[in-house]
Amino acid sequence: MTDKIPVTVLTGYLGAGKTTLLNRILTEDHGKRYAVIVNEFGEIGIDNDLVVGADEDVFEMNNGCVCCTVRGDLIRVVAGLMKRQRPGKPAFDAIIVETTGLADPGPVAQTFFVDEDVKAKTQLDSVTALVDAKHVMARLDDSKEAREQVAFADRIILNKTDLVSEAELVEVERRLRKLNPLAPITRAKRANVPLDQVLGLGGFDLGRILDINPEFANPAHGEVGHVHDEHCGHDHHDHDHGHDHAHHDHDHAHDHSHGARGHAHEDDIKGISLSLDRPMDGTRFTAWLDRLLGEQGQNILRAKGIIDVSGEDRRLVFQAVHMILEGDLQREWGPNERRWSRAVFIGRDLDEAALKAGFESCAA
Amino acid sequence: MKSFSYDAQITAIVFDAEGAVFALGDGSVRFEDGAFSAAHDGAILCAVAHPSGNGVVTGGDDGRLIWHRRTDAGVLATSANGQWIDAVDASAESGMIAFSAGKTLTVLDAKDAGFRRDFQHERTVSGVAFEPKGRRIATSTYGGAALWFARIAEQKPTFLKWAGSHTAVTFSPDGAFVVTAMQDSQLHGWRLKDQKNMRMGGYPSKVRAFSFLSNGQLLATSGAQGAVLWPFVGANGPMGREATEIGFDEGSLVALVASQPKHGLLAAGLSDGRVWLADPAGQGLNFLKVDRGAPITALAMSTDATRVAWADEDGKAGVSTL
Repeated sequence: MTDKIPVTVLTGYLGAGKTTLLNRILTEDHGKRYAVIVNEFGEIGIDNDLVVGADEDVFEMNNGCVCCTVRGDLIRVVAGLMKRQRPGKPAFDAIIVETTGLADPGPVAQTFFVDEDVKAKTQLDSVTALVDAKHVMARLDDSKEAREQVAFADRIILNKTDLVSEAELVEVERRLRKLNPLAPITRAKRANVPLDQVLGLGGFDLGRILDINPEFANPAHGEVGHVHDEHCGHDHHDHDHGHDHAHHDHDHAHDHSHGARGHAHEDDIKGISLSLDRPMDGTRFTAWLDRLLGEQGQNILRAKGIIDVSGEDRRLVFQAVHMILEGDLQREWGPNERRWSRAVFIGRDLDEAALKAGFESCAA
Repeated sequence: MKSFSYDAQITAIVFDAEGAVFALGDGSVRFEDGAFSAAHDGAILCAVAHPSGNGVVTGGDDGRLIWHRRTDAGVLATSANGQWIDAVDASAESGMIAFSAGKTLTVLDAKDAGFRRDFQHERTVSGVAFEPKGRRIATSTYGGAALWFARIAEQKPTFLKWAGSHTAVTFSPDGAFVVTAMQDSQLHGWRLKDQKNMRMGGYPSKVRAFSFLSNGQLLATSGAQGAVLWPFVGANGPMGREATEIGFDEGSLVALVASQPKHGLLAAGLSDGRVWLADPAGQGLNFLKVDRGAPITALAMSTDATRVAWADEDGKAGVSTL
């Protein structure tokens, strides 16, 4: 029996640099073998010996549950790829699924949780959204799919940063962060992203949801309080961070109207961060979360949380994709660790006040 | 029992007139007598005995359809753009071969190299099956099954509708029914004369294999803890009748079944690596492979029902003479 093969999903609209990124991943000297699933068959320019075409065949399962909208082409292609597996030796180290700019990432991800054969052989590692700094604002304005792809991602790669000014980048990052407070944003030029920022992220692995820090989420590059961490991914040698924006308006209501294009960028999708410093009643919280996902799962793209359950020494960790929820007790709280509950819900038309009230009503 | 071990997955087993033939995930074909054919560049995704009874026809992820004999091999057809060939069937009665790649069904005549028909579907084709006389072909696809005439160039198919994703298809041996397996762990059937629907559900798992036996009076399927048998007696088939289950074992699932329409024996390959043979009219199970191990991934019964071949996920295979 071999281990499950990790699957990385790469989203992004045409021109964002997906092919360049793919080729970087594939040609880097890592000694690994990848299978790449692309949307257009016979797409040129991908430098790999195993490139498979898929036809974005979205369908609903007969039970009518929205979480059971899956991609039939992925079920078929993954099953076919598994036939290359040799006994005891995986045929590939990973599978990379490239989607088009019009693809809904939900069914792609759900396929890996819903289909029994796919689930038995593979494990969804993460979803990475590639956006191009120059055009992303316009795309986010006019394309629901572009907003969903950003909101759904475990990591956002902000590519072509050399084509815009630092001030524009700051504005883009602010908007991306509001759409998705969970995903680290990596800046890149010509898709020059280290492999470990795309592969092996464990975005759906409960054991690797170690910290969610909604209150102190790292502000964007160039903003007050930004901490340069491993997620920045920028080149430390050749650019000026613009730390002299000290008088930037830092109002947390965030309804500025000074976007890069003068729009009020209030997107229909946003991430809502919740936290509570008192322990929670485990039963009440689980019931609340089940009901929330049951009623609003269609609008909730992603959710992650770490919960301090009253009377329990271990952390309750959960993650959800629409209505598909996975939760488990993970490691124990450390002796000096701050015990607190925090969760992030990313979705469409979410009622922040109601979510906050519901979350807090689960206090023990 | 003869045993074999390969350094690749066995993706299909076929009996031709001479013996068992193994199709592998490394693109090679291994005959039971040791003959070897390495023709595909990639994995073999599907295989069927050639209509002549000599050798095997395989479809690969290299987009090629290849006829392998013990002494040589040749490409019969290629798919458009090299698309994967996902499903293949052949009819000894009509001498025709049909395969699917993406949304296209292609029909060939084994005796006429110049004959080729390509039929388009709206969605990807998942399964291909000839009716017993080999003149019509059923394909499974999203939203139902399509029925085509094998030889007619310009035609509109009869589309048998049923919402959902259909993943495999078969004809009953009397040609009266078409049955599909579905993504959501059930079967669906149509009586062709009036397109009456038959829902056959209750499975805990996807149905990967189905096969008629006992002169078409029973349809055996995998997908449950035992082999499920649906009665196909009389004009109504299984309508209003209950299925029975044989060889129930709580600890395993029947992964594959194999049988021959003219014979009464049923072989089953289990998720825990065991293989049994049973006569549904009689009692008990006869274990052809009693040791547990990797799941059974391929299973076949010879046309005269005297031999059964199996393979597991670890590349181990065996052929038993009954």
